[in-house]
This record gives sequence, C-alpha cells and structure tokens, in this order.
Amino acid sequence: MSERRQASLLALPALAVFVLFSVVPLLAVARYATWRWSGTSEPVGVGAANLVRLLRDDALWQSLGTTVTFALIAMPTFIALSLVIALAIEGLRVERFVKALLFAPGLVTVGGSAIAWYLLYNPDFGVLVELTGVRLPWTTQPAAALAYVIAFTLWQQTGYGVLVVSAALKGVPREVKEAARIDGAHERDVRRFIVVPLLRPTLAFLTIVGTVLALQSYTAVYLLTRGGPFGSTRVLGYYVFETAFERFELGYGAALTLFVLLVTLVVAVLQARVLVERSARGARA
Amino acid sequence: MRLITAAVCVFVALPLAWLLYAAFIPAEALIAANIATFGVTLENFAALRGTGLWRAMGVSVLASGLAVAGQLAFGLGAAYAIRNGARLLGLVLLLMAIPSELLLVPLYRQLQTLSLIDTLGALVVPFLASPLIVFLLLQALRRLPWELIEAARLDGASEGVIVARVVAPVLRPEMVAAAVLAFAAHWNLVLYPRVMTTESLWTVQVFLTDLLRTRSFEWGLLGAAALVASAPILILYVVFEKRIIATFEAGFRS
Repeated sequence: MSERRQASLLALPALAVFVLFSVVPLLAVARYATWRWSGTSEPVGVGAANLVRLLRDDALWQSLGTTVTFALIAMPTFIALSLVIALAIEGLRVERFVKALLFAPGLVTVGGSAIAWYLLYNPDFGVLVELTGVRLPWTTQPAAALAYVIAFTLWQQTGYGVLVVSAALKGVPREVKEAARIDGAHERDVRRFIVVPLLRPTLAFLTIVGTVLALQSYTAVYLLTRGGPFGSTRVLGYYVFETAFERFELGYGAALTLFVLLVTLVVAVLQARVLVERSARGARA
Repeated sequence: MRLITAAVCVFVALPLAWLLYAAFIPAEALIAANIATFGVTLENFAALRGTGLWRAMGVSVLASGLAVAGQLAFGLGAAYAIRNGARLLGLVLLLMAIPSELLLVPLYRQLQTLSLIDTLGALVVPFLASPLIVFLLLQALRRLPWELIEAARLDGASEGVIVARVVAPVLRPEMVAAAVLAFAAHWNLVLYPRVMTTESLWTVQVFLTDLLRTRSFEWGLLGAAALVASAPILILYVVFEKRIIATFEAGFRS
C-alpha cells in the first residue's frame, strides 16, 4: 500500500463523522420537509404542503425582515467599532489592557453572560432600575428589544473584531507609513489613505464572520427575549427552533431549515461576488 | 476615537463587574434592598449545592472533554491525509460555512435513527470531528518542514505512527490553541443540548438558562452559578493565553 493510500485512511474517522452528522442531515432535510411530524409521532407524508405554507407564512417574512434589520445594524457597527478602537489604542500603554477587557465577555460562558445582563438591565428588579430608576423598555417595545439583542451581541463580539484588526495593523509595514510622513502627510491622512486601505482584506474577513454571526444570533435571542415581544426579535434561526422544538412541528421546521439554508447560500454567493469584484478592482488600481 | 473606546470599555465592563460583585454579596443585603452594602461572602457558592449545578458541570466537562479529544485526534488524521493529497478540503470548507445549530431538525432525526437521543453520545459523537479544527491543523501542517516526515518514512515508520509520534509533538502548540477554541465552542452550545437531552444530562448552559427562569430573584445565586460555569474556560485561557494569542496573531498578520 502506498504512503498516500495509507495516509488517506487516517481521514476516515473524521469523514465518517462529517457524513453521518453533516452531509446526511443536510441532504435528508429536504425529505423531512415533506413530513408532518411532531418529533415523537410517526412521520406522515404530506407532499409539498409545508413548502406551500412557507409562501403564506407571515411570521416567516416578518422573521426574515428582523434578521435583515439585525444584520444591517449589527454588522456595520461591529466593523466600525473594531476599526475605531483598534486604531485608537494602537501603540498606547493601555492597548493590552483594553484588548483583554474587550475580549473578556468571550471568556464568560454564554449562559453566564445572559445572567449578567439580566441582573443589570432587567426592567422589573435589575440593578439599573433599582439604582437609577431608568427602566429599559426591552421587554415591551419591539424596537428596544431588537436593540437590546444587538447590544448584547456587540458586547460579546467586539473584542474579537478589535483583536483581528489590531493583529492586521501590526502587519502594516512601518516603512510605508514613514514614507508618507516624510512626504508631509498628516497622521490623519496616513490612517485614511494608507492604513485603512491596507486593512481591506481584514475588514472583508470580518464582514463574512459578521454575516455568519448575524445568521446565528438566535442563541442570544433564546437567552434574552425568546423572540418577543410580539415576535419582534424572532430572527430566522430562532423561528426554526421555536417551530420545531416548542411547537413540535418538525416537518415544517425542516421546510424552514431549507429556506434558511437557501438564504445563507444566496448571501454567501453575493458576498463572494462582491469581494472578488472589489479585490479585482483593487488589484487594477 | 478615544471617547468611543472609553465608552465601549465601560459598556463592556459593567455586566462583568456586576457579575463579580453579585456573586459575593450577602443575601440579606438584597432583601434589605441595600445594594451599596460592602460585604463579601461565599454563601452564594455554598447555596449552589443541591441546585444541580455540579452535576451539570460534570456532564459538560465530560462531554466537552471527549469531543475535544476526538476533534484533535480525528482532525489531525484528516489534516495529514489532506496534506498528502486526499481530496477533502472542499468538503471541509463547505461544512465550515454551515453552523451545526442550523441543522437541529435533521440532526434530531439522525440521532433518533441512531438511538442517541438523550444519551451522553448525543453530546459527544456528532462533535468528534470539526471542520474548523481540521482546517486550523492543516494550516499548521503546511508550515511543517516535510523532510521530517520523509526521514521517518525512510526509517520505516507507518503513517499512523508518523502522525502520532512525529507530527503531533511538533504541532503541540497549534493543537493546544485549537483545543481551547474547540472546548469553548462545545461548552457554549445552548440550543443543541437543550433539544437533544433531558434533565439528567443537562449541560451547564441548559442548567443556567433554567436557573435564570426558576430563581430569577436570587442575584447572588445566579452570579455565583455564572462564575462557576465560566471557570473552565477562564482557567484554560489564563493557562494558555500566550499560546492562543500567538497562534491567533500568526493567522491574521499575513
């Protein structure tokens, strides 16, 4: 047996896990989408009924809107904050401290983070309302609830963004910056015309990470608002979970999963196209 | 820019500071609604006995530990195979783009078919391999001088032995960083364990969300539970901080 053959065998355990728990579920979900099935009941085939229901499901379109709103607010804020903070602390004595602090929420386990926010911002008996009387309206007002989930997500993730941008900043060659300074460029212009353009690939990377995070934000929704009030924070992933495992309609949940996978695919393709076009333009310039 | 940075720092620090504080305040201070009492107590931690937290910690440590061990062993094998020409990179990249929690519904059926629902296996088996870990280890393998492998082959070592005895020790730093990452990711799963298991197999996250629902008024207890549940990740991070940051920066500088 050749060495290459022998080496290939070493991939088999991982391959078996991928096939059983990713590839098969990914393909089989299309079949489950034709079922009426509560999870414990015997599945009953209902043909395309679930797919037809998708088109008429107002809650689904509301949920898609919520997800898009969430992403359009959270992602630019995430990228802007990562960039601004990384630039602001670069080379300062507090750099290490700020990075450690901002990264700290990532070290508190997610359930613990939800507890921390609950203790602080709960409008009925949270610390904020007890101490200052400021009652955050996130349990009753839809817009405030969405803002609350976005704030929590940014709280968790900004440290990661800052670390990524900061690592990239250290990769900007000093000579380039110095050459610009010698040519009489202001510090501000060095940043704007030299440093930030060089960070473009990093920012593109963060955009992709941010999109995945936006589509995955349903854990935060589950922990904080459970989709409420009035479905205002029910992002797509959470809607799938709620349908399948709180209302026990797993067949329709499978149809929703198909829909979310389709959305993910479209977004990924669009993003890839934009990024490729941009880098091609950058290469020409 | 500095103002924004300062504001964000305060915003990030507040919940963390309060969590630390709440975990150590005496219960009487809360009953008297006297938040400004300065008192430090460990009674909140003592009160955790009998809540089921320690059992959940045990389940989580076991499940996350086993999953990470599998991800490293299987991941290293797969990365080595790809490095030697096995055509699997496409699949790995595709799977990296699909979050496993998105597949809750079909996974539920798959676990049912394999009789894994509500077993420890449900928390471990599907996580024995991770595309992200394969990818990270492959990156590390690409930086490895290939003469090392060829020398071992000349000595007549089999491929399995080469991976275990030659590659694994050299890649130790990257494997440690990958392990911490993998552990935190598995430890932080919320919806998956909530769906696939019942109370006797609750992980720490499921326990915490339930505690928040049933004992919402007990600040001290909640704070203490959150801290205990975060301890494993904190410890891993503190012990391996330099390793993680170095691997992280090496990955992004280029």
